[in-house]
Amino acid sequence: MKKYLAKRALLMILTLFLITLLSYTIIRIAPGDYTTLKLGMQGALKTGSISSEAIEQERKLYGLDKPIIVGYADWLAKFVRLDFGRSRKDGRPVLTRIGEALPITLILNAISMIIIYIISIPMGIVSAVKKDKAFDRVSGVFLFILYSLPHFWIGLILLLYMSSGEYLNLFPLGGIHSDWAAHAGSIPRLLDFCWHLVLPVITLTYGEFAFLARYTRATMLEVINQQYIMTARAKGLAEKKVIFVHAFRNSLIPLITLMATLLPGLLGGTVIVESIFSIPGMGLLAYESILSRDIPVIMAITTISAILTLLGILVADIMYSLVDPRIRLEAKI
Amino acid sequence: MKAGYWRLVWREFRKNRLAMGGLVMVILLILTALCAPLIANNRPYIYITGGKVYLPLFYGLIFNGAEYPELKGKDLRKKEYKGFKLFPPVAYSYSEYDLNYIVTPPSSKHLLGTDEQGRDLLARMIYGSRVSIFIGFIAVFIYVAIGIIIGSIAGYYGGWIDMVISRVIEVIMCFPTFFLILTILALWGPSLVSVMLVIGVTSWPGIARIVRGEFLRLREMDFVIASKAIGAVDPWIIFRHILPNALAPVLVSATFGIASTILIESSLSFLGFGVQPPTPSWGDILSQSRDFMDFAWWLTFIPGFAIFITITAYNLIGDALQDAMDPKSLRRK
Repeated sequence: MKKYLAKRALLMILTLFLITLLSYTIIRIAPGDYTTLKLGMQGALKTGSISSEAIEQERKLYGLDKPIIVGYADWLAKFVRLDFGRSRKDGRPVLTRIGEALPITLILNAISMIIIYIISIPMGIVSAVKKDKAFDRVSGVFLFILYSLPHFWIGLILLLYMSSGEYLNLFPLGGIHSDWAAHAGSIPRLLDFCWHLVLPVITLTYGEFAFLARYTRATMLEVINQQYIMTARAKGLAEKKVIFVHAFRNSLIPLITLMATLLPGLLGGTVIVESIFSIPGMGLLAYESILSRDIPVIMAITTISAILTLLGILVADIMYSLVDPRIRLEAKI
Repeated sequence: MKAGYWRLVWREFRKNRLAMGGLVMVILLILTALCAPLIANNRPYIYITGGKVYLPLFYGLIFNGAEYPELKGKDLRKKEYKGFKLFPPVAYSYSEYDLNYIVTPPSSKHLLGTDEQGRDLLARMIYGSRVSIFIGFIAVFIYVAIGIIIGSIAGYYGGWIDMVISRVIEVIMCFPTFFLILTILALWGPSLVSVMLVIGVTSWPGIARIVRGEFLRLREMDFVIASKAIGAVDPWIIFRHILPNALAPVLVSATFGIASTILIESSLSFLGFGVQPPTPSWGDILSQSRDFMDFAWWLTFIPGFAIFITITAYNLIGDALQDAMDPKSLRRK
């Protein structure tokens, strides 16, 4: 196990290195850089009041005068010391900005993930057990529709009908705290926070749980047709025991690996959900930094989400071997 | 033998009525996209006046938007121009604005209403289908081609080549792809071509993994070994013998891929990183509607619904193909 973890850690570092190198290169070889954008926005370029010396100075400040490899090496040397530099937008350390945004996105994703699994697994099992019965058919069509609904559309419609006040005014228009919450106690604050998260969580979860429920149903059906299930039934076990002990355990394996693949999708999906509901999380931060070409922040976000994804895959692999002892971790590299 | 297999698949596919509905839907959409200028145009197909026959619509199509010199600047829809006139079903072009009809609900004049510049929404939706259909096909074609080439090299040759390629696939799969696409588009400037290329270049690892797996399985088969024994060269074995047998799962994945590409494109347009105005796209129309959504429901509902229906159609086809190609269902019949 130790040897395996060490090997995996090395591979993860290699992958992370390649991801960051690739991101840095893409950002650097793009036409037009941050300095021209910033100075252009201040109107300095247009009026001609800025000399090329000043542009050079600005470029030097951000390390854009160095070749890509040297610039990347500098970035890497700082990253190893966990120094992501300062945001070019407001001059605050990048880590502080991410420290504010990351917990919000993590909470949003954790809640979504829990809801996705809580709803979809029982739904998938029941559909598989009652294959072709009314529940299976109705839920099948329903899930199929949910799965194909674009989430930015649903987000907008929820916002329009549930919180704009034009139709209903059940939920807040966006953000994560109401104004009054700043002076309130911790319990009302928490409730207020949850109240703000209802619509974003719905938008973020429905597509994934539709996908997962269909997936659970498919894997359960595959397992139910196996001969050991027939054996279990033949020796007179209760149906409940057959389903939950013999069948479900074996259909767990693909569900666990799926968790690792869902994670990057959820992180990407938050860009849209956070921008619709103006939630100050990683997605919105990423969106804004991309718009303003805030390279230190873009690099930090790419790195951190890559680390999270890699960790997710690692956890999935370890759980994989816990659920199915036949899978030996050492062989799976 | 090969024709027999695809005929079996088609026979199985045809039994699924929902999927056939999806197929009809997709064909209709493709026809709409191809014939957009013939369906929505402010010029008549044919105009007969004073013994002369004009074909203004076709004249414009052939001569790149030019008009008959004697009809120049005349809006033939007005009653003052007497004679026989035959207009397309939607007698508006996508860019034509009418400031007397700003954000008007669906009516007999404008079947789906108008947008904030008084442009006919139906005409814009018809032209917008071109972006979705076009990007779906081209981007998926690009990444399926890349995926097949890379996957077959990895699976066929194995060894260190496979090691390197698998690692690259892993790196790209851990990449927060949506961030990457956003970053590239923000830095390089969004356009139809860049959106297509970026989606095409970042989405191939899934296909490559599938093809690699199929090749690993197939390359040990007797017919491949026999082919090697009689001295066939590698490209011949790869393309003539192995690839045709590995195509079924690729086709299923590509069908779902078109659905998700259309979703990604409309998400990008929604965030303002898609095809740029004046070219209409469904995601862009939806995004523009945000400012009026509290009263202009048609601007929010119609583009979202179109995206939803298109994605559903492709997903239905993909689902049915998957079932039809499952060896179990083929053997049963």
